[in-house]
Amino acid sequence: MSEAQKTVQSGGAQQTRNRTLTFHILRYNPQVPGDKPRLQQYQIEEAEGMTLFLALTEIREHQDPTLQFDFVCRAGICGSCSMLINGRPGLACRSLTKNMGTDITVAPLPVFELIGDLSVNTGKWMRGMSERLETWVHTQEKEINLSKKEEVMDPDLAEKIYELDRCVECGSCVAACGTAQMRRDFVGAVGLNKIARLKLDPRDNRTDADFYELIGDDNGVFGCMSLLGCHDVCPKELPLQTQIAFLRRKLATIECTECNK
Amino acid sequence: MNVIYSDVLVIGGGLAGLRMAIGAQRRGHKTIILSLVPPKRSHSAAAQGGMQASLANVIKGQGDTEDVHFEDTVRGSDWGCDQVVARMFVNTSPKAARELAAWGLPWSRVRKGDRQVIINSQKVTITERDEAHGLIAQRDFGGTKKWRTCYVSDGTGHAMLYTASDRAIAEGITVHERCEAIALIHDGKRCYGAVVRDLITGEIRAYLAKATAIATGGAGKLYKVTTNAIICEGIGHALALETGVASLGNMEAVQFHPTGIFPVGILVTEGCRGDGGLLRDCDGYRFMPDYEPEKKELASRDVVSRRMEEHIAKGKGHKSRFGEHLWLDITLLGRHHIEHNLREVKEICESFLGIDPAEKWIPVRPAQHYTMGGVRTKPTGESQTLRGLFAAGEAACWDMHGFNRLGGNSVAETVVAGMIVGEFIADFCDDKNNGIDVSMKLVEEFVSREKGKIQSLVNSSGKENAFKLNLEMQDVMTKSVGIFRNAEALEAGVKQLQQLIERSRNIGLSSKSTASNPELVAAYRTKMMLKLAQTVAYGALVRTESRGAHFRIDYPQRNDKDWLKRTLAFWKDENGTLPHLEYEPLDVMKMELPPGWRGYGAKNYIDHPDTPKRQEEVDAIKKQMEGSDRFAVQEKLMPFKDQLPAALRGKNERIDEPLKD
Amino acid sequence: MSNNTVIAQVGLAERPRKSRLPARLDLLQSLSGLFLALFMWGHMFFVATILVSEDLMWTVTKFFEGYYFFGQSYPWLVSVIVGIVALVFIIHAALAVRKFPINFRQLQVMRAHAKEMRHHDTSLWLVQVYTGFAMFFLASAHLYQMFVWPELIGPGFSGDRMWGAYLGFWFYPVLLLCVELHGSIGLYRLAVKWCIPNMSREFLSKLEKALLVFFLLLGAVTLIAYMKIGIHVKAGDFQKDYTPSSVMMEHSKAAPTSMDGMLVKGE
Repeated sequence: MSEAQKTVQSGGAQQTRNRTLTFHILRYNPQVPGDKPRLQQYQIEEAEGMTLFLALTEIREHQDPTLQFDFVCRAGICGSCSMLINGRPGLACRSLTKNMGTDITVAPLPVFELIGDLSVNTGKWMRGMSERLETWVHTQEKEINLSKKEEVMDPDLAEKIYELDRCVECGSCVAACGTAQMRRDFVGAVGLNKIARLKLDPRDNRTDADFYELIGDDNGVFGCMSLLGCHDVCPKELPLQTQIAFLRRKLATIECTECNK
Repeated sequence: MNVIYSDVLVIGGGLAGLRMAIGAQRRGHKTIILSLVPPKRSHSAAAQGGMQASLANVIKGQGDTEDVHFEDTVRGSDWGCDQVVARMFVNTSPKAARELAAWGLPWSRVRKGDRQVIINSQKVTITERDEAHGLIAQRDFGGTKKWRTCYVSDGTGHAMLYTASDRAIAEGITVHERCEAIALIHDGKRCYGAVVRDLITGEIRAYLAKATAIATGGAGKLYKVTTNAIICEGIGHALALETGVASLGNMEAVQFHPTGIFPVGILVTEGCRGDGGLLRDCDGYRFMPDYEPEKKELASRDVVSRRMEEHIAKGKGHKSRFGEHLWLDITLLGRHHIEHNLREVKEICESFLGIDPAEKWIPVRPAQHYTMGGVRTKPTGESQTLRGLFAAGEAACWDMHGFNRLGGNSVAETVVAGMIVGEFIADFCDDKNNGIDVSMKLVEEFVSREKGKIQSLVNSSGKENAFKLNLEMQDVMTKSVGIFRNAEALEAGVKQLQQLIERSRNIGLSSKSTASNPELVAAYRTKMMLKLAQTVAYGALVRTESRGAHFRIDYPQRNDKDWLKRTLAFWKDENGTLPHLEYEPLDVMKMELPPGWRGYGAKNYIDHPDTPKRQEEVDAIKKQMEGSDRFAVQEKLMPFKDQLPAALRGKNERIDEPLKD
Repeated sequence: MSNNTVIAQVGLAERPRKSRLPARLDLLQSLSGLFLALFMWGHMFFVATILVSEDLMWTVTKFFEGYYFFGQSYPWLVSVIVGIVALVFIIHAALAVRKFPINFRQLQVMRAHAKEMRHHDTSLWLVQVYTGFAMFFLASAHLYQMFVWPELIGPGFSGDRMWGAYLGFWFYPVLLLCVELHGSIGLYRLAVKWCIPNMSREFLSKLEKALLVFFLLLGAVTLIAYMKIGIHVKAGDFQKDYTPSSVMMEHSKAAPTSMDGMLVKGE
C-alpha cells in the first residue's frame, strides 16, 4: 500500500503548485480581410498530464472561441495536429507541457497552405503528392478473384513494407525540410518514402525506370540536400535517411534504354 | 446558389465511405466524397487490433469457417443482430481481406514452424503449417472461438485506411475535404443529396446526387470520455434523424471499454489486466474482489466497466482537475514484462501521461467505445424509409452487431459493408427511374433554410454558450446513459436533455464570422448532437430489459418475449424535444441460430415463445441433413445468398477447403 | 488518373522518358566534391611537410615539378595539376550552386528555418553555403595564382605568399578555415546522403568533427610555420628561392632557375 500512498499523495501535492503557462500563439486568419499575423498570448494553469491538445482546447473553450487548430484522434495516430512547437514541427497531441518551459510558442506548419491560426491544409498537399507520385500499388491484373486464396508474401517483407507504411502524412517532414522551404514543388520525404515503400512491394509491377519518371529530377530525389530535418522530426521515427539514400543510389545510375534521345 | 452534381455523394471519408465510393465509381458512377478532414485522418485509422475474416490460415484458426464466425457474431450481438446480414457479412469478410491484400495492404503473414505464444498466461509452443507460410496471419481476440483476426502489426486500421484511400485516389474519386453536410435534401420520400458547408470559407453549397450515402462513423463525443476521435460527433446520424423520415436503429446500444486513459480516453489494452494488472481506487484499495469475488479484474468487459462506475458513484474515484477516475496498477508485473509484452501501453503512458507505468499507476475510467446503433437500413444499405439514402459502417444499423459488437468486427464491417452497399448503390444509380429529378425550388428551400439557420445563430443575442451546453450534454450522458442504467437516472437524463435542447435554441456566439469559425461549428453541431443524445437516452429509458451493452439495473434480464425487437427512432417534430419511437420485431422463426445462452455472462433471460419451436425445427433440419455439405445445411436453415451482389456470392477458399473449380 | 498510369511492362510506356541528366549531375556533384575533399587532404599533407623540414618541403615541390623524373624542374607540370583541380572545382561549384538559395528571400527563409529548427544538419548546410560562397572568390584567386605562377611554390616563396606578399595576411587563414569546414562537412554530408559507408550519423558526425579539428590544427601550425619563414624572407634573412644546401653543393653550376636569381642564405 505504500505505493498507493505515494501515488495518491503526489497527485494531491501537484494540485497545489501548478505552473502558469504562457502560450504565444501565431494568429492569422486569411479569411478575414485586413488581418495581420501576430503572436497572441494566453495564460492557463497547467494540469497533470496536460498535452497541447488539452491546453489548446481549454483556451478555445474558455478564453478564445475563434482559435483555429486541427485535432482528430488526439492519440498520435492520425497526423492532423502537427505544428511548430517552440520552432520545431511535432504532433501537438503527443506533446506534454511538463516537458516544456512556462513559455510555449506555437505556430502553424510552414510550406502548407494556411487555413487560419494553427490550421494548415496538409490534406490538399498530400492528395496532390499522391496523385503526382501515383502512390498506389500498380498491378497488371484488372480483376481479382476474391474467392481464391491470397498471393503469398514473405513475412519479413510484409513487416518491412509495414515499417514504411506507418507514415501518417502529418507533414512534419516537409515543414522540417530546408529544400521544401526553398522549392515549393519538392516532393518531400513523405513522397520519397512512399515510393520506397512501393518499390519494396512485389505487388507493384512498376520498374525502377517507372519510378524514375516520378521522382527522377530536382523536385524529386535529386532535389534532396540530405539536411535530414525530416528524419529527425518524424513522429513515427521512419528510417527516412536510409530510404532516400536507397532511392538515390538506385536511380542515380539507372540506365536509359528507352530514352527518346 | 452553388450546386454540385454527381451520381453518388458519400458523406464521410473513412473506410466505409471510401470503399463504397470505390465500388460506385468503378461501376461508372461519378462519386464525390465529403470529408470533415483529409480521409486518411479518419478515425478508422485507430482500429489497431485487426479485422475478423475466417481465412483459417494459422493453426489456431484451423477449422474456422463462415459458420463459426457467424455464430460468434450472433452470440456477441446478444441475438439483437439481423442474422441474414450477419451471414452476408461473414461470407464477404474473407473477400474483403483478400481484396485489400491485392491492393497492397501489408497484412502480417504466417511464418511456418514453431513459435511461442502466451495463452491463458501460459507459454505455449505452436507449429504453423508449411502450406500456410506467407498467407495472411490471424491473432486471438475476445469473444471468438478461433483465431480469426487478421492484422497489420499494431496498425491495422491505419494500413487499411491508407490502402483504401490511395485506391480511391487511383480511381480518381473526388474528395471535398473540410466540407460538412449540414442537412439532407429530401422530399419526404426520396433523398437527393445534401446542403454542405465549407469549413474553410463558410460557403453553403447544394450537392445533388442520385444516391447519398452516410458513412460518418460513431457518435462517441456524446459522452465525456470516449476512445473515439474528436470528430466522431454523430453528425451523420443526426443528419438522417433530422429528416424526420429516415430512422435510427438501436441507438441505446452503446459499447464501453473499461480502461480508457483518463482524461483523454485513449485505449489501454485489456492485456494489462489479462496479465495480472489490478484496479485501485482513490485510497489505493483493490476493489474488484469485493464486487466480483470469482473473476475479479478479469470479469467481462461490460461487467468490469459497470463495477468501476459503481465504485466511482460511491465517491471512491480519485478526484483530479478533469474529474474522477480510478487507477490501473501494472507496476507489479515488473519492468521487463511491461517493456517486452506491453510496449504499446508503455509508449502511450510516456507520450500522453508522461509517466512510466512500471513505476506509476495509470489513471483509467471506462470510456465510450462504439456506437452499435445507426441509420437503419435494409440489407442493401438503403434506408428503410427514405429512398436514395444509404449508410454503411459504424454510422449504419445494417445490423450485424445487434446490442454488442465483437472485437475485430467493426473494421471488418467498414470494408465489407462498403463492398456490398457500394454495389447496391451502383445498381440504384443504374436504374433509369432514379435520376436526379428534384425540383430546384426544393433545393433552394433547403439551402436558404440552412443559410437562415447559420445567420440566425450568428445574429442571435442568446446567452447560451455552445461549448458549455456540449459539456453539459456529455455530463448528462455519462451520468444517466452510461454503462449502468436505471429508470430514475434515465428519466432525469431525458428531462435534462429536453432542457438542454430548449436552451440550445438560445445559443449566442461571441465571434460573428460565418467563415471558418470553430464556435459556430460547435453551435450547430451541438444542436444536432443534443437530438441524437436524446434519442439514445429515450431509447434506453423505454427499453426495459438488459441486452448486450444496454444494461438496466432495474431490468437485468434479457427479455426476448417483449424486447426481441429493434428500436427505430424518428425525429418528427423539429421543435420537439423527444424522438418518436417505433419497434421492428425480429422473427425468431427465420433465425438460423435461435436465441439462447451466449456462452459467457449471466445465463439470465426470458425466452421468446417461438424460440423452442424454432430450435426444434433447426435441430430437425440439421439431423435430417447430417452428412451433407455445410453450405447446403446453411442454405436450408436460412437462405441469404440472393441478398448479396452477384459478384460476392462465391465461396471462400481455405487451405482445408480448396476450391473445386 | 489511372489512365496516365506509368507501367513500363503493361504497354503504357510510350510517352517520352524523363532525361537521366539530373541523376548524372547529382552523382557528378558528389563525386567532384569527393575528389576535391580528398585532394585537399593530400594538399594539406604536402604543404605540411614544412613542419618536418624546409628541405622536405622543397623536395615535394620539386617532385611535382618533375625534377626527379627529368632531372630538371618544369613548373608548368604544377599548372597542369592546378588546371585539373580548377576544372573540377568549377564543375563542382556550378553543380552545387543549383542548390543554393537563388535570391535573398530564399536565403532569409532558410536562415529563419535553421534558426527555428535548431537542427544540426540544417545549420551545417548553411555553413556549406557560406564557405562555398566564400570559396568562389578565395579558391578561385588561389587557383589562378598557382596556375599562372606555378613556380611560386617552395619554402621561401610560399612563406612569402602567406606573409601577405600578394593577397594580404588574412587570405590564407580564411581560405584554410573555409576549405576545412567545407571539406569535412561535405564529406560527412556525402556519407549521410548516399549511406556510404552505412554508419550511424552520430558516429559520422563525430568523425567529421575529429577530422575537422585535426586538419584545422595541422593547417594552422603549417600556416604559422610558413608565416615565420615569410617574416624572414621579408627581413631578407631567408632565401626566397630556397634550395637545400646539399643540393646547392651538388649542383652549384646547374641549379634550378628562378625569377629572382640566387641568393645565398645568411648573405
